[in-house]
Amino acid sequence: MTQETAVIENTTQEAAAKKEWQPTILGILCNWCSYAGADLAGSARLHYPETIRIVRVPCSGRVDPMFVLKGFQKGFDAVIVLGCHPGDCHYAKGNYYARRRIALVKDLLKSLGIPEERFHFEWVSASEGNRFAELVTEMTEKIKKLGPFEGVTP
Amino acid sequence: MSDIENKIQEEAKKALEGGDVSVVIGWGAGSAPFKTTPVFIEKPEDADKLVWNPACVNNLAVYLPKLANDKKVGIVAKPCDIRSMIGLIQEKQIKRENLYIIGLGCAGVVDAFNLDSQDFHLQDVIGLDWTSDGLKVSTTNGDYTLSCSDCLRDMCLVCTKREPAIFDVKLGEAVQPSDIRESLIPELAEERKAYWSEQFSKCIRCYACRQVCPACYCKTCFADRVEPKWTAKKATAEEAWMFHATRMMHIAGRCIGCGECERICPVGIPVAELAREMAQAVKDTYGYEAGDPNQESPVLGQYKEEDFDPAHHGG
Ligand code: SF4
Ligand code: SF4
Ligand code: SF4
Repeated sequence: MTQETAVIENTTQEAAAKKEWQPTILGILCNWCSYAGADLAGSARLHYPETIRIVRVPCSGRVDPMFVLKGFQKGFDAVIVLGCHPGDCHYAKGNYYARRRIALVKDLLKSLGIPEERFHFEWVSASEGNRFAELVTEMTEKIKKLGPFEGVTP
Repeated sequence: MSDIENKIQEEAKKALEGGDVSVVIGWGAGSAPFKTTPVFIEKPEDADKLVWNPACVNNLAVYLPKLANDKKVGIVAKPCDIRSMIGLIQEKQIKRENLYIIGLGCAGVVDAFNLDSQDFHLQDVIGLDWTSDGLKVSTTNGDYTLSCSDCLRDMCLVCTKREPAIFDVKLGEAVQPSDIRESLIPELAEERKAYWSEQFSKCIRCYACRQVCPACYCKTCFADRVEPKWTAKKATAEEAWMFHATRMMHIAGRCIGCGECERICPVGIPVAELAREMAQAVKDTYGYEAGDPNQESPVLGQYKEEDFDPAHHGG
């Protein structure tokens, strides 16, 4: 190894060591409120960690519990589901149905031993860009402390 | 119980002779005296093939979506089987008027494999019957009486619904054993994930648990779909996790706790443990129990504005 390559090698290793592990979070967002909220966070140029991968769905009522399960099976470090506040659903009642499903998904995850900190469900409206940015930041910090998800069947 | 067995045969015969019932589904003698097998009786003279004894384990409601679709079907049924039927009626898979239900009061049924651990050999068993003290096992070496908690199937140890909820004829008496258990829900194990990882690593993905479940009647199961491929064919613990976790969501609030999925599993995975926990969660949160004739739609097909809100209230 020449001196030059050694220097390059060391520098890249140092850089890699310095670069902190970042979680990868799956976000499932309803189009009318939460996705618009995320959009607002963007257009207001609010900063939040680039840890979230967003899937846009027409309504939180469209969130099949399998989306959440699949997220964990595929090794996302956390899964977030966001929808319009109760009473504000674009389709009037989609989020009421969603609420029951999500409550039961939470119970199932508990039975299967998936740490509850890794799943987050919240109502975020189109005007809550701040809350969206805050939430991604909070969640990222929390998951960083927990470390990488060890899988559904480690 | 031969008394009730005779009455079942008479009722089945009458129903078939009457002509509007084309087939009577019930249990018949199995390959051994401690086993029974589902039978489909079409001729009145075959009605004497029907049996009723503590080995009548199968939940026969599983056959109804296919058989009772366009014709009237007679069915001999335990209270738990009837709860499955109520679910199927509520979910519009079968019509009540297409059923002729010979409902039975129940004293619980046995899992033949549990009998093997007692002080006689399974191959020597010649018959099973209920007595007031428990289960009478007749063997070639004499009779034994086992207490219910030693031999009944798990779900029967907690069952408090031993009378048929709906029926056309009711036969037999419900017997509630004194050693009924509170619950079968295991203490939340420290290492839930390790426990289920190990269980699912045994799963060969034969889908018998799905086939035997009366609530799993979908014409195309998500597990058989290629596009989207929710769960890959390979038999790994992780793919099995996806299959079972999804099935649990699909039967949430619909599982009546017959335990068939667990009984049928060739590798002994206690899938019904998870199903029971789901049912308990549904009951705790929504006060809803599957198979209740006073309910309308499945728990996930309805909502109330004042429902429990699982959302995190941040910001
Ligand atoms: S679960 Fe109840 S109704 Fe069903 S076989 Fe057992 S005791 Fe009978
Ligand atoms: S019956 Fe058992 S082995 Fe077969 S798919 Fe179900 S859990 Fe897996
Ligand atoms: S999930 Fe299992 S216990 Fe529940 S209804 Fe289906 S077969 Fe019976």
